[in-house]
Amino acid sequence: MQEAKMIKITDLEKFYRTEEVETIALNKLSIEVKKGEFVAIMGPSGCGKSTLLNILGMLDDPDDGSYMFNGVEVAHYTERKRADLRKHNIGFVFQSFNLIDELTVFENVELPLIYTGVPSAERVKRVEEVLDKMQIMHRRNHYPQQLSGGQQQRVAIARAVVNKPKLILADEPTGNLDSSNGNDVMELLTDLNEQGTTIIMVTHSEHDARYSHRIIRLLDGQTVMENIMI
Amino acid sequence: MIRNYIKTAYRSLIKNKGFTVLNVLGLSLGLASCLLIILYVADELSYDRYNTKADRIYRVNEDLKLGENNVHYAVCMPPLAKTLKSDFTYVENTVRIKNVGLRHVKKGTTNILENNIAFADPSLFDVFTLPMINGNPASALAEPNSVVINETIAKKYFNSTPGSYRDVVGKTLTFDDNTFYKVTGVIRDLPRQSHFNYDFFISMSTFPDSRSTEWLRSDYNTYVLFKEASDHKKLETALPAFLNKYSGAQMQSQLNMSMAAFEKGGSFFRLNLTPLTDIHLKSNRSGELGPNGTVQYVYIFSAIALFILLIACVNFMNLSTARSSNRAREVGVRKVLGSAKRHLITQFLTESIMVTFAATVIALFSTVALLPAFNQLAGKELSISAQTLTWLIPALLFIVLFVGAMAGSYPAFYLSSFQPIDVLKGKLSAGFKGAGLRSFLVVLQFSISIFLIIGTLVIYNQLNYIQTKNLGYNRNQVLIVQNTFELNNQARVFKQEVKQLPGVINATLTGFLPTSNWKNTSIFFKDAAFDQKKALFPQTWEIDEDYIKTLDMKMALGRNFSSQMLTDSSGIIINESAAKFLGLKDPLNKPLYRSNGGKQDISNSKEYHIIGVVKDFNFSSLRDVISPVVLVLAQNKGALSVRVNTTNLPFLLSQIKDKWKALSPNIQMNFSFMDQDFDASYRAEQRVGRIFIVFTSLAIIIACLGLFGLAAYAAEQRTKEIGIRKILGASITTIAGMLSIDFLKLVFIAILISLPAGWFLMNKWLQDFAYRVNIQWWVLVLAGFTAVLIAFITISFQSIKAALSNPVNSLRSE
Repeated sequence: MQEAKMIKITDLEKFYRTEEVETIALNKLSIEVKKGEFVAIMGPSGCGKSTLLNILGMLDDPDDGSYMFNGVEVAHYTERKRADLRKHNIGFVFQSFNLIDELTVFENVELPLIYTGVPSAERVKRVEEVLDKMQIMHRRNHYPQQLSGGQQQRVAIARAVVNKPKLILADEPTGNLDSSNGNDVMELLTDLNEQGTTIIMVTHSEHDARYSHRIIRLLDGQTVMENIMI
Repeated sequence: MIRNYIKTAYRSLIKNKGFTVLNVLGLSLGLASCLLIILYVADELSYDRYNTKADRIYRVNEDLKLGENNVHYAVCMPPLAKTLKSDFTYVENTVRIKNVGLRHVKKGTTNILENNIAFADPSLFDVFTLPMINGNPASALAEPNSVVINETIAKKYFNSTPGSYRDVVGKTLTFDDNTFYKVTGVIRDLPRQSHFNYDFFISMSTFPDSRSTEWLRSDYNTYVLFKEASDHKKLETALPAFLNKYSGAQMQSQLNMSMAAFEKGGSFFRLNLTPLTDIHLKSNRSGELGPNGTVQYVYIFSAIALFILLIACVNFMNLSTARSSNRAREVGVRKVLGSAKRHLITQFLTESIMVTFAATVIALFSTVALLPAFNQLAGKELSISAQTLTWLIPALLFIVLFVGAMAGSYPAFYLSSFQPIDVLKGKLSAGFKGAGLRSFLVVLQFSISIFLIIGTLVIYNQLNYIQTKNLGYNRNQVLIVQNTFELNNQARVFKQEVKQLPGVINATLTGFLPTSNWKNTSIFFKDAAFDQKKALFPQTWEIDEDYIKTLDMKMALGRNFSSQMLTDSSGIIINESAAKFLGLKDPLNKPLYRSNGGKQDISNSKEYHIIGVVKDFNFSSLRDVISPVVLVLAQNKGALSVRVNTTNLPFLLSQIKDKWKALSPNIQMNFSFMDQDFDASYRAEQRVGRIFIVFTSLAIIIACLGLFGLAAYAAEQRTKEIGIRKILGASITTIAGMLSIDFLKLVFIAILISLPAGWFLMNKWLQDFAYRVNIQWWVLVLAGFTAVLIAFITISFQSIKAALSNPVNSLRSE
């Protein structure tokens, strides 16, 4: 039986133009990701990793090529449609956590549920559930500045998964953490993946990449190698 | 969702305390200023609107042109009111009011001088809304020797309390020890917002002249109440024919001249209507029932209020967008998490409306606290009553929403349009975004501020000019005893006795003074032809031989009156304007014929000969050109002006009072000083000057609050650059200069814009004064310099602070 494809990009191109130079960020890139996969994207600085992640996350649109998400072409979706698709399907984890300083742990995690219109009582239940799972329930009323880096990233992951997204995009999730906290985060992501969430992660760390099923290596906007991890 | 907005907004505001304080402070200052001005303007606009029929009431005015003389009267002919009512069906009613002047009213054994007394027709209470507490409004003013008094007077003369006014009705008041009036009604005190304000209304029938049928003189303030749904323009078009019918007929019989012939000579007299509610702000005629306001000041103050609000809003916008880089990441995260643009816009608007709300609450309390001081400044009795609140609260809510939306809209739309990918990748954080618009707004703020500085300086210059201008007489060291007319024949004795006192240089007995309200005009002709076109229509003042000397006036030609010259009773002194008007090269000994009124020929006139020309002196407002004046020798007992030269004025004053008491023990002597009387006539201007200076300062303070905040953010944004420059050897002065110059450039642009605009607009204001200063170059330079200096001080505080910081700290944070 053929496994369902979550993402299929074909001949994707992205250029960055300044007045004098045109830089090719993605050069006719084609990638497929199946549902339930855990994929790591690696490559040197400037190879196009982040550009790819932004396009996959529908934060940016490609200049050319096709992007099928769950079998639907989204490459030329409007900002509004992309935002709608995004908030129901994709969770983000950033290197620098990107928590909102003015909101408590609970409120940060609650935010995506507010934007998808989940009723208040349901929100409390779901946020508490996910905070419990991330083992930061005791910190629910603290502000981000009062937490350690590892705890902040756990809050960020909690926020990314609270809406039960089908796909999590992680941009160097351990980049700002020490190795112990980093490992915890990777364990969390692995757990999520084992429960069925598709994960695409950009990383510089070979150690982290080993948690994934498959590594896509990029150079100058093209795939140079795909390693299948056992 | 809304709870989330408010929560985030609240926390964001608390977290950025400095920013919030600057914003709230600036906005509350601006709003409080605005509120004060709104109360002031609302008060000015509310005049006479207490009358329930206000929109149907008009005053009839007369415009008279006689030869080259133009006069605008607020008064009309004695029989006009009655005739209008009988001739025009759409006139529901008419009423005449005539000022009585000073009267002594007896309380027990003492006589109290009362000033606010008027004759009024019985229809007064039908036309105007003057609620009567006790008495019958329909008949109160019908009988002769009836008087209607207000509550204050009832309390004052009868120790009456609100419950016992009915006992006052039917009692008697004694005027001037010889006339008795029956109190027929007690009315509420008139609202202060009334163009006339009397304590006593005496029935018009008491005054025999009120039955006069003369159609060629005007001395009654006449009001018309139109029937509902009738058009006042109908009457206006009917008036010329009406006037021809009545005045024209009398002109024919008395002057042997038809109205057409009169108008052929270039003269005319016409009637027109002023809506009751326009009188206070738009009418400045001869014979007004009280001092009126000026609509110009209502406009000026409204503009200032708007300016201040605008400056405060600009602060808000500027500080919010300057802070945008700090909020950018939040916007990015929210967008990634699925926030739509409109959610973000709502969120930022919520924030700015919250700030505005807080500022409005503070402003409301500050306004209440500042009201007494403002009342003193503006010469008003404004208060915030329950009734004020009925329009003030909705107005404030509107202001909150409007200012909140206006001040918040730009930051809201600007911030919400950030692309999440850009902000999260840090592409925006380095920029001090929205610089173009922000620069524009700073220029706008400073242009307004500099304009206000110019306005203040010009107004002050003009006021100073008025105070120091050579008026043609010396108003200093002149004591005026105001009520010598009450001494009757003893007045001249009083004058002689006062003149003998040590410390008295001279004294003159007459009510006609440059600073008094005594005015009298008559018609003069320069030859026996009695040519209407060449008639002189001067102020005709009755003086004595000490007048010129006492007031320190100067003769241009000829001589003063002399008690030795018996022929001086037919002598006349004219001022330079009169000489110029008459076109006389050598006026001395030329004749002047004074018309006795009625038929204009030599048999009905008195012949004078000119004995001297007095240098022009100012006697009305410096807004007006000096008009012709003639002085004749007569025994006017109106007031005694005493030129004094003493170091012990209180002692001299007590001596003068003793002399008075010896002659008239029952009547109190009223006195004033001429320089103070003079100042009083410019009080309105002085108030405007003071209000201007206060609000200009506020505008500048608010603009500086904004600039202070902006400079802080600019310095914060450039921390890294400053660090690098310092490491490379830049001095503190260089860095402070570098940071300041960006803002000073904007202030210079503001100067370029506001100087010509300020010069132009203030010149227009000055055009209202016949005697005025020119706007000096230094006024413009000073205004510009002040703005630069204030801006520089504000900015350099932040610049120097940034320049002094340790570069190691700023670079380590990267």
